[in-house]
Amino acid sequence: MGASPRGLKFLSWASVLMFGVASYLALVYAPREAVMGDVQRVFYFHVSAGWVGGLAFLTAAVAGVGYLLRGRRSWDQVALSSVEIGIAFTFINIVTGSIWARPIWNTWWTWDPRLVTATVMLLLYAAYLLLRQGIDDPDRRARFGAVYAIVGFLSVPLTFLSIRIFRTIHPVVIGNNDPTAQGAFDMTPRMLQAFLFSLLTFTVIYLTLLWHRTRLQRLSEHVEERKLKLLGG
Amino acid sequence: MLLQTAPAQTFGYMVMGFAVIFGTLGAYLLSLWLRARNLRRDLEMLESTEAGG
Amino acid sequence: MPEPGAAPGVRGVRRARGTRAYLRAIGAIVWKDMAAEFRSRELLGAMLVFALLVVLIFNFALELDAAARATVTSGVLWVTFAFAGTLGLNRSMSVEKDRGCLDGLLLAPVDRSALFFGKAIGNLVFMLVVEAIVLPIYSLLYNVNLLLPGMLGAILLGSLGYVVVGTLLAAMAVQARTRDVLLPILLFPVILPVLVAAVKATTGFLQGLETADILPWIQLMVAFDVIFTAVAFMVFDFVVEE
Repeated sequence: MGASPRGLKFLSWASVLMFGVASYLALVYAPREAVMGDVQRVFYFHVSAGWVGGLAFLTAAVAGVGYLLRGRRSWDQVALSSVEIGIAFTFINIVTGSIWARPIWNTWWTWDPRLVTATVMLLLYAAYLLLRQGIDDPDRRARFGAVYAIVGFLSVPLTFLSIRIFRTIHPVVIGNNDPTAQGAFDMTPRMLQAFLFSLLTFTVIYLTLLWHRTRLQRLSEHVEERKLKLLGG
Repeated sequence: MLLQTAPAQTFGYMVMGFAVIFGTLGAYLLSLWLRARNLRRDLEMLESTEAGG
Repeated sequence: MPEPGAAPGVRGVRRARGTRAYLRAIGAIVWKDMAAEFRSRELLGAMLVFALLVVLIFNFALELDAAARATVTSGVLWVTFAFAGTLGLNRSMSVEKDRGCLDGLLLAPVDRSALFFGKAIGNLVFMLVVEAIVLPIYSLLYNVNLLLPGMLGAILLGSLGYVVVGTLLAAMAVQARTRDVLLPILLFPVILPVLVAAVKATTGFLQGLETADILPWIQLMVAFDVIFTAVAFMVFDFVVEE
């Protein structure tokens, strides 16, 4: 892996810059929320991280389809990279969701559809990695990963739906009874700007990380091949 | 006239939340950088081994 | 392959023969599994004993008194079926791999999906047999009538969804080094919606709720079953190719 291509260098700097601006917007520019106070500021990155988590899973599933249909390694490299990045962002989503819930509803966990679905997604991601770990043949590993990414991704909306219906029929004592609202608050224009900009920022960060991680994967596979060649003969 | 209640004091939780965000992103970036560095070293070693013998 | 100049009637007959061959292949695989199991009874025996043990453990783990029981019964039943089902799925697929039957089946001149449907139907039958035995026993032990038509329908739908995804994932898990541990890890996150729907639907029938209340769960199970049968059908080839 030589020096990053110009496009990637540009994206990397853009990501850093945008993240700085987004942080400023979330922490300073956006007003403090009238009821919840400062913890609401976490919301901008919490939702953006959740968005990236979903986007990453979608990418992995699409890359899976690509690998099954085309067979080129690069599809698989993108899929694996996307899953790894997705884990990081979904983790952020879940933990910040929990931290936000604590002062608002006096509980570390609300069994609301979004939080549960994010957790299931995290478990699916982890299962994907465990599946790959257990297979030695690289082609089979890629194929099985692709199949699981597709199957897993398709199950996510159904999971969300099932928890949603569950919550509509079974009101929860702790937390909000409305399964659609999660700490609802009115967004002022400044808040909206901070929110939209963080969504954009996190998307750019995701793409940058995806590019970096895919290059890393390519390097890793290249090194593995050369090691095998050296040992083989 | 009704008095408006002040917003909840949740500054500590906000700090916790952002610590998780910055921390996780930072840890992941670090992991990427370390893995890249180790791979580059492996590659150098492989190339010098092949060149030498 | 029909000759270029063949009359449409002839081509139609060939296609019908293709379909019949397909169905016959599925039947052959199901029959092979049934016959093997009838002779040894190891799979059913293991699943059954395991299921009854789980019910027993739940008896002491949870306070299954009459008041709590209504809400908890469905949960206990489905946890039991889910875990016993994992045993069956694993075993059913390992047998193919270990005895090298998989390669033989793959050589057969029939669409790979026949292999999938054959195994899935076989797995479904095993699961239904276990459920058919556990349900009356549970009814007797806890003096609750579980043999309601609505419930049986819900259990069938749920088992179907479970088995369709389970057969696909088991085919993968069995080819990994970590095969025994891997299947539940792969399976449970994916079938969560079916389990939730199945538990709620079963509870609904047990408590005699309005059909309108139970309907969303039934619809969810049907949607799940249809979607995943279609996906498994499309993707199974990639799981068994060499």
